[in-house]
Amino acid sequence: MALTIKQQLSSPGGLLKFLVKHNTIFIFILLLIFSALISDVFFTSTNLSNLLKQVSGIGIISIGMLLVILTGGIDLSVGSMVALLAVTFAILVNVVVLPLAIILTIIIGFGLGSVSGYLVAYQKMAPFVATLALMTIARGLGFISSKGSPITFKTPGGEFMSNFANNSTLAVPNIAIVFFLIVILAMVLLRYNVFGRLIIAIGSNEEASRLSGIKVNKYKFLVYAISGALAATAAVIVASRTNLGSPNMGMAWELDAIAAVVIGGASLNGGKGTAINTLMGVLILGLIGNILNLLNVPSYPQQVVKGAIIIFAVLLQRFDSK
Amino acid sequence: MKTSDSEYRLEMTGISKSFGVVSVLENVNLKVKPGEIHALLGENGAGKSTLIKILSGVHQKDSGKVILDGEEISPKNTHDGQVLGISVVFQELSLVNDLSVAENIYLHKLGSSKFWMNWKEITKNAQDLIDSLGFDIDASARVRDLSIVQKQVVEIAKALSEDTKVLVLDEPTTVFDPTDTKKLFDNLFKLRDKGISIIYISHHLDEIFKIADSVTVLRDGVDTGSMAVKDTDTDGVIRLMIGRELKDLYPTRDVEIGEVPVFEVKNLTAKDTLVHDVSFSVRPGEVLGIAGLGGSGRTETAKLIFGAHKKKSGTLILNGKEIKTNTPVCAVGHQIGFVSEDRKEDGVFLPLSIRRNISVTNFSGISGKLGFINVANEYKNVLELIEKLNIKTPSSEVDVKNLSGGNQQKVALAKWLSIDSKVIFIDEPTRGVDVGAKIEIYNLINEVAKKGVGVVVISSDMPEIMGISDRILVMHEGTFYGELSKEEFSEENILRYSIGEKLKQVV
Repeated sequence: MALTIKQQLSSPGGLLKFLVKHNTIFIFILLLIFSALISDVFFTSTNLSNLLKQVSGIGIISIGMLLVILTGGIDLSVGSMVALLAVTFAILVNVVVLPLAIILTIIIGFGLGSVSGYLVAYQKMAPFVATLALMTIARGLGFISSKGSPITFKTPGGEFMSNFANNSTLAVPNIAIVFFLIVILAMVLLRYNVFGRLIIAIGSNEEASRLSGIKVNKYKFLVYAISGALAATAAVIVASRTNLGSPNMGMAWELDAIAAVVIGGASLNGGKGTAINTLMGVLILGLIGNILNLLNVPSYPQQVVKGAIIIFAVLLQRFDSK
Repeated sequence: MKTSDSEYRLEMTGISKSFGVVSVLENVNLKVKPGEIHALLGENGAGKSTLIKILSGVHQKDSGKVILDGEEISPKNTHDGQVLGISVVFQELSLVNDLSVAENIYLHKLGSSKFWMNWKEITKNAQDLIDSLGFDIDASARVRDLSIVQKQVVEIAKALSEDTKVLVLDEPTTVFDPTDTKKLFDNLFKLRDKGISIIYISHHLDEIFKIADSVTVLRDGVDTGSMAVKDTDTDGVIRLMIGRELKDLYPTRDVEIGEVPVFEVKNLTAKDTLVHDVSFSVRPGEVLGIAGLGGSGRTETAKLIFGAHKKKSGTLILNGKEIKTNTPVCAVGHQIGFVSEDRKEDGVFLPLSIRRNISVTNFSGISGKLGFINVANEYKNVLELIEKLNIKTPSSEVDVKNLSGGNQQKVALAKWLSIDSKVIFIDEPTRGVDVGAKIEIYNLINEVAKKGVGVVVISSDMPEIMGISDRILVMHEGTFYGELSKEEFSEENILRYSIGEKLKQVV
C-alpha cells in the first residue's frame, strides 16, 4: 500500500516486479485473452455461466482451505465431506422443510470440521493426519448413509433448490453469487476483522502468537470448523445442481482446492494468502479445464496441464519473495 | 611435533567479519601453539563464537588470514574444517538422538567410507575411545537414552580422531559436576601432552586459571590482549573483558521508584523446568535485572510467570491482588508483557507489517462489535508508537523482516506498550542490536519505567545489566542465589553468585 501503482511501475524493473507481484491476476487475464482468441464459443454467456457454475463448489471449499492454510494447516477432508454432506442434505430435504435442511447440513458440516479442529488444536495431531482420517471416515459415512447409490430430491423444497442452483440472476448464476458473497465475506474478515488478523498471525509465527496472548488453539479449532461449514455449503449447492446427493461427489476436490489456494500465492507454511487471490486461483483452474474442453482435449492431458500450471505459478512466486 | 617457521600451529590474523551492517569481528588475532591449552575469553556477544565458526568453516571471514601449520586455509564448511584437523565441540549439542553412540561418533566419516559398514568394528572402536576418556557409556546405546552429561562426552569423543590438530571446546563444562569436570580436564591435559592445540572457551575464570597455558580476550569484536596465563590474574583478565566506559552507553536515570511493589512473586516453582522457589518483587518505576549463566533458568522464570510454562506452586500478586496466569492469554489480560529473547523465533512476526505486529496484542483497543477493526484508530495508535519509539521505517506497512535488529526489537516492545502493561519482562533486550539502537532501547526502558511500570530485564550482558538496573537478582540452578544492590554491582560479584559462590569480603 505504501507505493501507488504508478510509482511501482516507474521504478527500475518496475513493470516486471509489478507483474510478478500480482502474477495470479495476470495469469488469469492472459488465460482469458488466450481463451477468447482460441475459441469462438468461449465468450458466450452459456459457456461463461457454465464455467462459473462448475467452479463455485470447489471455490467455496477453497475459501475454507485458505483459512486453514493461513494458520499453517491443511484440510484433506473437504472433498469427502462434500459427498457425505450432499447425501445428508438430500436425505434431509426429503424429510424436513428446506430452510431447516440447509441449516442442519451446515451445522453437521461445522460439527465434522470441529472434529478435525479438535484433533489438530487440542490433541496436537498433525493436520495432514487428522484430516486424512476424517477424509476416509466422511467418504465411508457417505456410502453407508446412502447405501451406495445417489439419493434424489423428491420434495418441493428440493425442486426449489434445484431451480435456484440452475438459474441466474442478472446473467450471473445464483450459485456463483453465493460463491462470490463468501469470497467477499472472507476478504472482509481477513482484512478488517480480528479473526482474520489472528489466523494470519498464528500462521506466520505460532509461538510468537502464543506469547502475545492469542488463544491459538481456539482459532486453529475454528478454521477447521468453518472449513467444514463451507464444505456443507458447497455440498448443498452441488447436490441442488444435479437434484441429488451422491457419495461419489467431490472426488479429489480437496486437491483442487489446495491447488487453487497455492496458485493464488498462499504459502503452505501459513501466514500468507488472500481471498481475492484464491478466487483467481479457482478461476484459473476452472478456465484451464474449460478451454481444454472447448478444444476437445481429453481429460488425461488436462491433468498434465493443470499440474504444469501449478508448478509455473509457484515458481513465479519465488521471484516475488526474493 | 612438526617443525615449521613459526612457533604457532594456528595463526588467525586480522580476521574481520560482519553480518549485514553489524560488524562482529574487527581485525582479530588468535595464535595458538602446538600442545597448549589456549583460553578464549570475552563477554556474550564479544565475538568468540563467530571466530570459532570462521575457524571451523561454519562462517566465512570477510578478510584476514588463517594459517594452520604454515599453510593458509579457508574451510568452506565444517567438513573441510574436519579434514584439515579442526574439531569443534559447540555449545549446542549436535547429536542425532535416534542413532547409537558409535554411529554418532563416526557419523561424519560415513560419507567417505566404503559402501558396507562394519558396525561391529565401529562400535568396538567407539567403545575403546570412550573408555580411554574414562567415562562409562555403552557405545551401542541410543543417544536419546543418555543423560546430558553423557551426551556432552559423546560430543567430545566425536570431535576426537587420529588427525585432530586443533580441538575447540565451547563452554564444555556447563552441564558437568566437579568430578566430571576433573575427568574432562585430565583428558585435556593428556591431549595437550600429545601435541594437540586446544582452544577453550569458558565463562568460568577459575577454570581458565586451572587449565590454560595462555589466553586471548575479545571485547566487542576486537581482541584486547593475548598473554601467558602465568603473567596475569583474574582482575587483569576481567579488566580486558570489560574495559569500556560504561557511562557513555547507559543513560542516567532519574526515576521515582514507588514504595509499594507493583508485582510480587512468592515461592514460584515450575512443573516442567528447573525453576523452583522463586520469590521477588518489583516496584513501580524500578528496573530489576536478572543475571545468571545460560541455562540457569532466567528465561524459564519469565515464561513461567507469563503462563507459557506450567506452574507447580507459588503465588503472583499484581497491585496487591492475587492473580493467576495459567496461560499467556491470562497474563496479557492482566497487562503483563513479555519480550522474548529469541526475537526472530518467537518475538515478532517477521513476514507481517509493523502495523500488524503492533496491533496483535491490542485488538480490544482498536476493534468494535463482532471484532471489526477500526482502521483509523489502528493507524493512529501504530503511528504514535512508531514515532515515540523512533522506529526507523518509511511506513507502518513495511514487513518487520526488512527492519534492522534494533528496530525489530522496538516493534517487539511496542506491542506491549500499546496495551499499557503494568509489568514488562524483557529477555535479552539488546541481543544482536547495534550500539546506537542499544542506547535508544535503554532510554526506552527508562521511559517505560518512568510511567510507573515495573520492568524486569534479563540479560547475559553484564555491563548492560549493571548499567540499567536498580537492583540485580542472580540466578543459579533454577532459583535466585543472591541479590545485589547498586553499590554491590560488579562483574565479579555477579559471576560469583552465578556460579553459586559467596561474595568476597570487602577488603
